[in-house]
Amino acid sequence: MFCPISAVPNMAPRELSALEKFLGLKKPHKYSTQGVKKVPVLQINSGPPLVGLGTIACHLVKEAKRPDLLGDSAESRAVVQQWIEHRVTKLDRCRKDDVKTFLKDLDHYLQDMVYLAGNHFTLADILIYYGIHPFMVDMAIHEKEQFINVTRWFDHVQHYPGVQHHLPLVTVLRNRIYTSRHH
Amino acid sequence: MALNLTINTTNPPLGALLAAEHVKDSVKVSVEEGKDTRLHVSDVIQFSDCNSISRYLARVAPALGLYGSNTMEQTEVDHWLEFSAQRLCGNTGLAVALAELDKALSLRTFLVGHSLTLADISVWASLKGHVEWQSQGKSFSHVSRWFFFLNSQVPFSAVGNKYTKKNVPLT
Repeated sequence: MFCPISAVPNMAPRELSALEKFLGLKKPHKYSTQGVKKVPVLQINSGPPLVGLGTIACHLVKEAKRPDLLGDSAESRAVVQQWIEHRVTKLDRCRKDDVKTFLKDLDHYLQDMVYLAGNHFTLADILIYYGIHPFMVDMAIHEKEQFINVTRWFDHVQHYPGVQHHLPLVTVLRNRIYTSRHH
Repeated sequence: MALNLTINTTNPPLGALLAAEHVKDSVKVSVEEGKDTRLHVSDVIQFSDCNSISRYLARVAPALGLYGSNTMEQTEVDHWLEFSAQRLCGNTGLAVALAELDKALSLRTFLVGHSLTLADISVWASLKGHVEWQSQGKSFSHVSRWFFFLNSQVPFSAVGNKYTKKNVPLT
């Protein structure tokens, strides 16, 4: 059987800890994982356990009283949820060769956007950044230029105060080298 | 130290106004409407050029990083200040300048470093006041994205709405 190359699902507890730090939450939570896919689980004091990266991430954002990170209008809230769902259902299930398709769509989408939800930084940017990091790390310069809008957005997010955390910095040149390349 | 900025309302110095807006929590700057654009620092020191005014304001509030965070970035900021004053103000060569700007912005969210600097402020201000920008903007997608991103940020939208209307009769 083909094993998904993406190591992302195993990374979820680490990502959530990083998110806690970004949000400035003082008390770190303990996460367990569930099933072969290692879905993260958070047991909170009151009520049933929270299951899944997106669900827990949204919970943390609310705990930190940062509702702006979930979007500031009905429309942007929907867009944020859409990208979180994309992350969990599409990106995390991608094999290495499918990732190109995901990145191509993302690149097209980011052509006229600074952030995924338009002009404001949201949780969607953080989670997609975590999700594509393993692929960006391995990319050659000409590949990064193929997805120029993704690369620009990625570089901006990794320099956003407090986001990068445990992840290694991906080198991004600030000017294009392969200017004649079409994509 | 209280600074006083007088602005010419028929040709408002958008860049200087934005710089003043950004530093207002660190430095006291009062803005008045008058005949000529002038930053009054003391009785012997006054600046009348828009770029000189914003440079001075950025320098008295170094913690904001509006002048970049190292010598390299400072030089880049200088480059863009010059670029906005020379290349984006004339009536000719706008398309060439925009193409250059578009290339520079393809891998950047902000012109210099990873946050807002005078470079963004000054180039944005020149484009905002430029008559031809609106008709040519569509062909430069990176410039457009950057321009409208800044447009949506609070000091930019406030200053833009307050002062550009008066610019229209001139054109």
